[in-house]
Amino acid sequence: MQTTAELLLLLVVLTDLAVLGTSRLRTCIRAVAAQGLLLGLLPLALASQVTVHVAGLAAGTVLVKAVVLPWFLLWAIREAAVRREVEPVVGFIASLLLGALALALAFAISGRLPASDVREPVLIPAALATVMMGLIVLTTRRKALTQVVGYLMLENGIYLFGLTQTESVPFLLEVGVLLDIFAGVFIMGIVVFHINREFDSLDSARLSELKD
Amino acid sequence: MSFVAWSVVLLVASGVFGALFRGRASLADAVFRAGTLVAAIVGSVPAVRVLRGTPVPDVTLPAPVPGGAWAFGLDAVSAVFLLAILWAGAAAAWSGVAALRGHVAPAAARVSHAFVGALLAAMVAVVTARAAVPFLIAWETMALASYATIVLDHASADVRRAGMLYLVATHVGTLALFELFAVWGAGAGDLTFASLAAHPPGGIARGAALVAALVGFGMKAGMVPLHFWLPEAHAAAPSHVSAILSGVVIKMGVYGLVRVTVLQGAPPAWWGWTLLAAGVASGVLGVVWALAQHDVKRLLAFHSVENVGIILLGLGAGALGVTYAHPAVAVLGFAAAALHTLNHALFKALLFLGAGGVAHAAGTRELDRLGAAARAMPVTAGAFLVGAAAIVGLPPLNGFLSEWLTARALLHAGLSTGSLRLAVLAVAVLGLIGALALACFAKVVGTVFLGRSRDPAARAAHESGIGETLPLVALTAACAGIGLAPAVVLPAILRMGAGAAGVSLGAIWAGGVDPATAPMGLFVAVVAGLGGIVWASRALLRTRAARGAHETWGCGYAMAGARAQYTASSFAAPVLASYGRVAGVHAHRTAAAFATHAGDPVLDACVTPAWHAVERVARSMRPLQRGRVWLYLMYLVAALGATLGYLLLAGRAA
Amino acid sequence: MNHAHVGSSLAALAVLLVIAPALSGVVVRTKSAFAGRRGAPVGQLYWDLFKLMRKGTVYSTTTTWIFRAAPVVVLVSLTAASLLLPLDGQASPVQFSGDLIAFAGLLALGRFALVLAGLDTGSSFEGMGASREVTVASFAEPVLFLGFLGLVLATRRLTLSAMLGPALTAAWAHQTASLALVALAFFVLLLAENSRVPVDDPATHLELTMIHEVIVLDHSGPDLAVILYASSLKLALFAALIVEVAVPRDGLGLGWSLAAFAGGLLVVAMAVGVVESVMARLRLNRVPQLIVGAGALALFGIILLLR
Repeated sequence: MQTTAELLLLLVVLTDLAVLGTSRLRTCIRAVAAQGLLLGLLPLALASQVTVHVAGLAAGTVLVKAVVLPWFLLWAIREAAVRREVEPVVGFIASLLLGALALALAFAISGRLPASDVREPVLIPAALATVMMGLIVLTTRRKALTQVVGYLMLENGIYLFGLTQTESVPFLLEVGVLLDIFAGVFIMGIVVFHINREFDSLDSARLSELKD
Repeated sequence: MSFVAWSVVLLVASGVFGALFRGRASLADAVFRAGTLVAAIVGSVPAVRVLRGTPVPDVTLPAPVPGGAWAFGLDAVSAVFLLAILWAGAAAAWSGVAALRGHVAPAAARVSHAFVGALLAAMVAVVTARAAVPFLIAWETMALASYATIVLDHASADVRRAGMLYLVATHVGTLALFELFAVWGAGAGDLTFASLAAHPPGGIARGAALVAALVGFGMKAGMVPLHFWLPEAHAAAPSHVSAILSGVVIKMGVYGLVRVTVLQGAPPAWWGWTLLAAGVASGVLGVVWALAQHDVKRLLAFHSVENVGIILLGLGAGALGVTYAHPAVAVLGFAAAALHTLNHALFKALLFLGAGGVAHAAGTRELDRLGAAARAMPVTAGAFLVGAAAIVGLPPLNGFLSEWLTARALLHAGLSTGSLRLAVLAVAVLGLIGALALACFAKVVGTVFLGRSRDPAARAAHESGIGETLPLVALTAACAGIGLAPAVVLPAILRMGAGAAGVSLGAIWAGGVDPATAPMGLFVAVVAGLGGIVWASRALLRTRAARGAHETWGCGYAMAGARAQYTASSFAAPVLASYGRVAGVHAHRTAAAFATHAGDPVLDACVTPAWHAVERVARSMRPLQRGRVWLYLMYLVAALGATLGYLLLAGRAA
Repeated sequence: MNHAHVGSSLAALAVLLVIAPALSGVVVRTKSAFAGRRGAPVGQLYWDLFKLMRKGTVYSTTTTWIFRAAPVVVLVSLTAASLLLPLDGQASPVQFSGDLIAFAGLLALGRFALVLAGLDTGSSFEGMGASREVTVASFAEPVLFLGFLGLVLATRRLTLSAMLGPALTAAWAHQTASLALVALAFFVLLLAENSRVPVDDPATHLELTMIHEVIVLDHSGPDLAVILYASSLKLALFAALIVEVAVPRDGLGLGWSLAAFAGGLLVVAMAVGVVESVMARLRLNRVPQLIVGAGALALFGIILLLR
């Protein structure tokens, strides 16, 4: 029987695939919100005993990643009135297949990493896969908002890496990481908002028109 | 072996007789037909004997040139290929005699028949040669005879262009084969296969030899991306020649790959994986490109690329099975590759001959102009339908049997440990290929034989003569027979696989692998029986009920006529849309019509530009050609001097 | 395999063959309940079939024998395919190594016949339906194979009978996630292969938007009855596949096993009804995305098994 943590991690990967396979921004954001919730639950599932430290980390993560950021992004798409990723650089089918490839690679690579975490064998591959799929979203989508989602996935993947070390990383650092993401997304959101207002488009490819 | 020799003599002699004979055309044709048929029967005797487990002794002739004795032999691998050559060849030759009569000048037709005979004889020599020198001689004879048969209609510029492309491609392949035998033979005493097998090269030499084999044999087999010549040549040739080219000539490439795999003992892992990857690429891309075609012969030619891909999946599994010492995978893989080779020879010959008949009758090969041929040509339509179902891999026909074997090899790989089990993912690719092939043949059968005729000129179609329908019926019977009698076919082909893998079958069955011969036969019987029951019960129902005839329901609209039917272009468009640029399709969409034009991405984007680059370089060397004799003599002297200098320097170094 | 097994597996097959038309009724009833209507009785299709059987047949003058043979081929291929599944949870009547390939091949055979019959009429509507059917299938078939691969790797068996039989119970204990993913992929496949929402809307009234319904426009009388029954059997077959993956029935007596089987089929049918009620039909060019997504799920399951 698989452990709760393992099942949570598999669900994280499923949310990655959901982001890759959908064109609706709203669904993308919901998927990332679900991922945030799962990431928040993970420290509880991984910890041998639930301390204040762990509970705080979980609560903070859920609050930021599953509530505040998605809410903010949903607000942004409402303001900017974009609903779909219309014409990605790489098609949805191709990016799904790329995602599957990334997944396979993640499992293949993690088996050879010296630092493989014995406590939870799926943790490292799930982290790698999330990072890679975040990169795929970042590089293959045109809408700035989808790219923000990709950036969030990337951060989530790094957060998963961080979970291998929860015992040794001080609490302050984690808060710092969360703040960092928060600020990043906030800034990107504002930028997105202004791009939209100035150019009536969120197509980041058109940003190249800004050069001389 | 003497039977095989007689078969070769008959094939050559009956063709040459026709070419030299100046009397009645019908006599020459009859001699050619009889010659190919008797050659097929005579040649099959030892082949069947070998497949049933009785070995045939090798024959060794004294060699007229260096390179060791000229050995010839017939093992089970050769026997399967021999059967494919002889029977697909005989059917195509019979059909060809009828097809060319009245369409080509009699003298030209008979010369063409002579080349067909020589082509078949050369292939028999290729699969029985057991030394590099006779192998290469047979190989080159085969290549030249193919060229001569392809350019029968040499008045057409397209045909000449396709022929030239073929000639260049096949010689690049031959060059690679020279390298293969030169590198491999450097370490062996002579160039007989026995000593090549005894001294496989090591290290870099092995890599060089295997890459050369991949290029040389892969080019002939039409393996992606070396397939670019194949659709051109097979579409340009007369249909019965296309049947031979697609059915058996490209299989000589497969034969070469099988032989190289078996000769080297345990191949390196990359060899098997490369074959598997080439199989995946050829299978998927071949069928996607086929879907985009609207010339029925080009379409069938691309399907040959696809089927070579399926064969390579089996062969790759076989090679990997040997490498990773997994006998069940090896046996099933080799058996699957061989059986699919034989099957593809049968149904591809059937499909090409059927398509040729329709093209003759309707005067066009364009799918978007054909239609309703099943009414005028019921026999051709029935045969083509069976061939289509077989190539798609539908039970209970022969194509299914070999695809099932291929999948089993890969599935057994999946149950192993280590990296071999990753090969199991190719089963999903097999499913993809099958589904796409189904889409493609639904398109072909639907637009050629069903519905209403799209072109007024094509409505005058008529059934082909008995000379063309008889081979079709025979090939149909063969396709159905192999599919319906797995209990006869499977043991022989599995024994062949065991021979190629160098293991005993009994040990594998004892190891818990299920031969699945008997239940497979039961299954086929159950399917056939169920069909009979349902058919009979519905016939009973129908006798009680009224029957009427009316025009097709037009959903409330008056039917807009034949031109409103779905065309091949529109039928394939939704599938192809998902493959984007890979499909190489250019769509032309207007308010009233939709048409697509298909190119070959490899030919258009890689080979043609490369060819032009070579041409440019060659042109820049034009100044060397001054047309003065003394200058050429100077070149000769300079070349001699350079060679001498090299030899001197090399001698000092040694 | 002993005779008791043949008996019980044939009994289970009978359950499948009899209950099949009811499943469409259950789907319709579920949708009606969501829409606040009463809906047609669950047994409506039985009555329709009975009625059609007694009617005469009209054949289009364009059609050939292929059109007449197609319903038989479709029905036979699906019946033969159901012989390969261990419907009683123990063993199937016919089994051989690699029979999963035969299962897929038989489904393809039925599809080939249906599509050719559609093209045989020369109707542009049916041509359109045929084209869409093969398009959907060209994505669905690899996913079916991926699902089977997941089962093969999880149970290490090569017959459907063994894969879905007792070995599956043991596999669920260790490979929960992979098997759940496979079951999910099979459910998407059921929707796609049986032309249900969100791939196709069986209740639509416009031919231009149909897939399955439009291919059989020209069939009438007993031929149409056979086709309708075969369609319901196909739905039942995929539902049975899902039930077999999701609910291993090892160790149950024959009666309980059959009851669980029939109950499982009804639950799957209700799930289909729920999906049809809460989802809209996808745009046709989005359908491949959905099926490839299911394929990605199955592939994920396989990756977990191969690691």
